[in-house]
Parts: sequence; structure tokens; C-alpha cells
Amino acid sequence: MGGEGEIDGGNRDDEQMHYNPMVDSFDHTAPTIWDHHPTNSQNLGAFCDMNMQNIATTSSSSLGFYKGNLFAPTRNLDACWGPTDSAVKRGGMFFPPGASAVLPHGLSQFPTDSGFIERAARLSSFSGGSFENVIIPFGNVHESGLNPYRNRPQVQPQEGFVGNGFKSPSGDGSKETPLPVDCLTDDGRQAKQGGSSFSGNNLAGEAEYSGGGDENSNEGLGSKKRRSDQDTEYNQVKRSPQTPSEITKNNNECQPKGENNPSSVANKSSGKHGKQVSPSSDAQKEEYIHVRARRGQATNSHSLAERVRREKISERMKFLQDLVPGCSKVTGKAVMLDEIINYVQSLQRQVEFLSMKLATVNPRMDFNLEGLMAKESMESRLGPSGSLGTDMAMPYALNQSQMAIMQGGIPGVGRSSDARRTVNSHLMSISGGFKDPASQVPSTWDDELHNIVQMGLHPSTPISSQNLGSTTPGHLKAEP
Amino acid sequence: MHTSSKLTKEFTKKWLKGLQICCSSKKDMDVLERKKKIKLCADIALASAKNATTSWSIALISEAKKNDENEILVDNLLGPESRFKQQNIIRQMNSCHKRVRSKKILKKSCSISQRMKKMGPPKSNLAAYIAKRLVKKRTQVLQRLVPGGESMDEFSLIKEALDYILSLRVQVDVMRNLANATEVLNQSNSSNVFD
Repeated sequence: MGGEGEIDGGNRDDEQMHYNPMVDSFDHTAPTIWDHHPTNSQNLGAFCDMNMQNIATTSSSSLGFYKGNLFAPTRNLDACWGPTDSAVKRGGMFFPPGASAVLPHGLSQFPTDSGFIERAARLSSFSGGSFENVIIPFGNVHESGLNPYRNRPQVQPQEGFVGNGFKSPSGDGSKETPLPVDCLTDDGRQAKQGGSSFSGNNLAGEAEYSGGGDENSNEGLGSKKRRSDQDTEYNQVKRSPQTPSEITKNNNECQPKGENNPSSVANKSSGKHGKQVSPSSDAQKEEYIHVRARRGQATNSHSLAERVRREKISERMKFLQDLVPGCSKVTGKAVMLDEIINYVQSLQRQVEFLSMKLATVNPRMDFNLEGLMAKESMESRLGPSGSLGTDMAMPYALNQSQMAIMQGGIPGVGRSSDARRTVNSHLMSISGGFKDPASQVPSTWDDELHNIVQMGLHPSTPISSQNLGSTTPGHLKAEP
Repeated sequence: MHTSSKLTKEFTKKWLKGLQICCSSKKDMDVLERKKKIKLCADIALASAKNATTSWSIALISEAKKNDENEILVDNLLGPESRFKQQNIIRQMNSCHKRVRSKKILKKSCSISQRMKKMGPPKSNLAAYIAKRLVKKRTQVLQRLVPGGESMDEFSLIKEALDYILSLRVQVDVMRNLANATEVLNQSNSSNVFD
């Protein structure tokens, strides 16, 4: 039993598999229809036949309306409009304005003037006055009418695509309707790449921005790149089969936002995370976090925000898989969370244990150089790493391996011996070069500790530590 | 991880500084007290090494500050310039707590009605329902583990947990190294004594 993410992903996949063939074919045929007029009817027929097989057609009043006003009723057209209409009903607008723009171009027998397109677009408004809200997720489109579309006709092709189709009834249809057709022709092919890149940009930007909180931290640098890589990977894997149906999905997500404040949905999804994609980071990015509503899933604002959240979480989970040991095979949120919890608990327990150990080891809690200086005076008799060292190392290694919980086992052994050698050599050098305790104590102490720490981190440098026996504290500072 | 070396250094410095402050204040402490002090110093040093970039560090420091004894230690460790920033952030945290509390009340009032509705659907998708509950339970546990986790939603909780894990690793490494070093010294000293 997988986690929530798995189950959702499974559902999504099924629906996409079901849905894609129709959309794919339509998307492919759409540009071809515009380009090759003579073959249009055949293509449409083929497409409609396929749709007939896939989808049960229902006729609606709008279909009748279409038939009556716009088209000479032919079987092909009925079939075409049937599936599209049912698609509309099921999944919101399946860009019938786009289809209406398609058909006139393809079937030259019909009037192809802009007035016809406008009428067709207006007819498509049967699905409600939600077209205004369709533009919502696309940033400024809602406020500035079609201007954003004009400004960025190529950046977000599917946006302009959708926005046009739906804006035409609300805005000045006559002026803009030629544009959607052109946009369709130009960007229909680009929709795939544009869509994937757009979503890739968007989500990568989100991931980057949400990783911006970690920017100041050192781990954030590596993790940010990682996340964006994973994001783009994830997007390319997941988004590319969906881009043909993205338009419909956009319609799906946009439609039910009727009464809501236009910006509230996107703000909600972004406000949930307390962050928004910063518009200044990329001129192409919108101000809102875009969500691809998938067909068949609930499209109200809550679930959309939830989906954004879920997707982000699954991205993080992938990153966590690298971080938490032994999680490469594990999938599903619940199990991943379990692993994380175990790991955090074990790390916390380790800290407790180590602090207890330090408390016992240092009866006076003098973690300063004075204590170590006092000890080093006794140690000055010791060679850099005499036979005593190896004797010490063996029981110490056993002790160490018992104590180590997660990863400290084998590397801990190396670390202990290195630390010992380092400490000895350092103390030797300190005793050799020790003159003024006040000034030199803090610097040598820091260096020594840093070296101890780095011995643990970089076990490859113990050789250099051996040479420290002959160096002065001044040389210690030069150590990396 | 080379990216964490800076964090390591910062943490080490601050921790040792804190320990010096600690041991200068009192003289005789039993093991448990010492252990507590050591751990406290380590935690505060770790959180301050983050420089208030992550919310778990802020939560940790704010919790430590609630105890009056630790205030001197915390202030010394943090440094004067970050003190004001810290106060602002703590204020934000408090307001965030209130917001979270109100959210929780709202959720509880809604969840009851939702549960009444949900009696039907879960039967159809029982696996998902169970999975959701599991995830919920585990996120609750994680919230308790990560400092300041109660006031986070699921997504930021995971992010914070990530960061927290990394810093805990650093902490464990440094502490282990120091423990090893001191233990080796003690052993060598004792062996010297016997010699």
C-alpha cells in the first residue's frame, strides 16, 4: 500500500492514459487542419470516429445551436461536436472556440469571417460566465484584458491560447479573434515544448524560490540545485505527456472559480506556503503558482492548493530520500515520514548520548585549552604515534563501534585514530611553540578544534597531520 | 559535505564559547547537570549558527530563552547585532502561534462536520483513507520532534525537518570528535600516570 502520493499519482496516470489519446489526436490534427485545408474533413472525420468510439456523444442545446446557425449539419460535424461537447461537459471547455476556429478554416464551405468566429466564441460561453475567471491564473490578464496576451504571445502559448478562446466573448471579440487563430497556428506546435518548459520554469522557480529560504544556509546551495534538477526531471517526466491536455486542464481548473475572488485561489495556494514566485526573478513567470488541474479530479480551490502542496511534498520526499540513509527504495509518504522520524529520533538520541559522554569525560567541564594544556605537559613524553597509539586505538575502536549508531561505526574508527594523532601532534607543537598563553590560546584552540573536526570530515588528511609535529602554531593557522 | 563545513566551524566556535561561559559560571555540577549544559550549549550554538534563517532554529532559541538562566548564555552566543533581529523574529513566531492556534480551532470545528460527510466515501477508497491517517499521525510525530514544528504546515515541516537533519548531523559529528579527542586524551593521561 502506497502513500497518498502514490495513490493519487496512480489515479492521475489512469485518467491521463484515458484522456490523452483524444487530446493528442486533436492537438496533432489542429495545426494540420489549419495548414492543409483539403485534408481537414478527413482528419476531422477520423478524429471524430475515434472519439465516437471513446466517448458517448450527447447532444445539447448548444450543439443544436451550432448546427442551426453555423454549420450545415453533416454527420461528421455532429460527431465532432458531440464528443467535444461531452468533453466540455465532463472537463470544462475543450476549447470549442478553438474548435470552431478550426472547423471554419478546415471546412472551407463555412463562413470563415471573424464575425463567425466571434459568434462561435460567444456561443461557447454557454458554459457560463466563468471565462473571466479563466484568465485568473494567468496573472495580469484579468486586469489588463488581452494585453498580457499580446505582450507575451509566445512565452506562454497555452495561456494565450486559452485566454483568447475565452476572452473573446468577454472582451472585444472581433478584434482579437483573428489572433487566437494565429496563436493557435503558431503555438499549437509549440504548446508541448512551451507547456513543459513553462511548467518546468514555474515549478522549478517555485522550488528555487522556496529553496530561497535555505539560501543563506550552506546546505541550501547544494540542495537548491538538487531540487531544481529534480523538479525539471520530474516535470519533464510528468508534464510532457500532459501538455496536450494542459489546455483542457487549465479550463478545468479555471471554470469553477466563478464567484471567488480571482486572485484568491492562487493567493491561497501561494499563501499557504507563505511565498510566491517572485516576478522579478524571471520575466516569463507569473505572479501566481500555476496549477494543472487534472481531468476528473475536483477542481475547487481547496483541492488545487492541496495538489500544489502535495506535489511539492513529493519533490521534497525525493530529496529526503538522498538524505536519509536507506530510503532509496522506499516510496510513499507514510513510509518516508516514518524513516525521517526514525532518523531524527536517532540523531537526537546520539546528541544526548554524546553530551552525556562529554559530561562524564570532562569532570570539570573545561573544554578549553587549559585542561588540554595541563594534559599535554604529561603527554610531551609521547611520540607522534608510538606503539602506544595502536594499543590505544584497538580498545578504543571497539568502544567506538559499540557506541556508533548510524554511520559512525567504521569511519569512526578512522576518526578516532586520526583525532588522536592530531591531538598528539597538535599538543606537541603547541608545547614546542607555546610562549604567550593569552594571545595564542584562542587561535591555536580554534585551529586545533577545526583540525579535529576536519579530521573527521576529511580522513584523507591524516598524513598532513603527521607533519604537524614539527610545525609551529603559526603553521597550524595555514592548515585548511 | 563541503557545504556544511562552514556550519561546522560556526557551530564549533559557538559551542566552545558557550561551554566556556557555562563552566565559568558554576564550579561543581553533577553529571546530569553537566550533560544538560553541554546539550543546551550545543543546541543553542547550532541554532545560532544558522543565523535565524530557518524557523526551527528560531523556535529552538525562543524556547531556550524562556528559561531565564539561559538568557545570558543565549545573548552572548548570539551576539549583539542579531539580538534585535531575534526579538523581531520571536514576535513573529508568537503571532504565528496565534494564527496556528486559530487555524487549529477552525479545523477542529470543520473536521467534525467533514467526518460526518466522510462516512460514505471512505468505504469506497479505504486504502487511501488509511494512508491519509497514517501520514497524518506521522506528521504529528514529526511535528513534535522538530523544534517549532507545531506551527508549521506539512510542506514547510518537511523542509524544516530536512534542514534540521543536516544540522543534527553536523552537531553529532562535532560532538563525537570532541568526545573522542577528550577520551583519548584521558586514556593517554591515565596510561601516562600508570607509567
